[in-house]
Amino acid sequence: MNEKIRKHIEELFTNAPKTRKAMELREEMTQNTIEKYQDLIAEGFQEEAAYQNVISSIGDVTELFGDLEERTPLSLPEKDRKKKALINSAAAGLYIFAIGAFLCGMAITEIWFFYPEAATIVIALTVLLCIPPTCMLVYAAQMYPNYQRKDNTLVESYKEAVHARNKEKSVKAFVSAIVWLATLIFYFLISYVSSKWEITWIIFLAGGCGQAIVCLVFSLRQKTA
Amino acid sequence: MSITSDILRGHTETIILAHLLEQDSYGYQINKDIMKKTDNRCELKEATLYSAFRRLEQAGYIRTYWGDETVGARRRYYSITEEGRRAYQSYKRDWEEAKFTIDQLLK
Repeated sequence: MNEKIRKHIEELFTNAPKTRKAMELREEMTQNTIEKYQDLIAEGFQEEAAYQNVISSIGDVTELFGDLEERTPLSLPEKDRKKKALINSAAAGLYIFAIGAFLCGMAITEIWFFYPEAATIVIALTVLLCIPPTCMLVYAAQMYPNYQRKDNTLVESYKEAVHARNKEKSVKAFVSAIVWLATLIFYFLISYVSSKWEITWIIFLAGGCGQAIVCLVFSLRQKTA
Repeated sequence: MSITSDILRGHTETIILAHLLEQDSYGYQINKDIMKKTDNRCELKEATLYSAFRRLEQAGYIRTYWGDETVGARRRYYSITEEGRRAYQSYKRDWEEAKFTIDQLLK
């Protein structure tokens, strides 16, 4: 009879999404139903009557299937999502701070010192300042790996990934273009103003750094989206 | 009867939390306890029970783990979290308030 109950519940789940959650729910329901059936038998019910009783008390399971699809943004509990958002925004704040420090440092070296080495030191300090926020972003991405993707059927997640990738690609290309354009403008601007052509090429290194950050941010978003 | 079952359905989550306050439990056990407490007058439909579990889980009010039964199928246990306890207390306050108000209005 246990097999009969198992079969019946399997049939109820024919149209359920093929996910780990669905399988777990099926296991859970099967176990609970069998236990109930055994209790009814122990109370003196006839096998067939007990079977009908447990089957009818299951109710409509199709309404449960919607929950089993599991949209990824919901996969992180509210608390963790807040924590992650906090880390990300703190990282962004530190980046902005680094840029501010860089600009201030440059201005100060222009006014008070006349050593070209001072500019190099400022750039080195800026790069150092960029380390903590980069680590934070990497940590935030690694902290909650995304298992949900495996749950969805292969075809569906493939379609989703292709769609997302195309959109992501165009946005990424656009942002990269802006970064390089800004770098170029910045280079000429600073070079003309300071007329220190021999050192301002370093701005391109900063541009490369910016580009790397853009790539990082996008790959992080891909992981979480 | 229909008012009773409507109200009960609206409080499924709180009823589950109340049961988990005492000890960890699993679906059928909770339903059995409900039947015992109400002299077999009320029993949750399994679909109602499981969707309530999923909602509570998503809200972070309960956690789930599989039992280690060696004979037969494994049970899926639920335990209440700290947030769940807080949510229960606030539900309970709301209910006391609603009960008081309705009692006053129906006098």
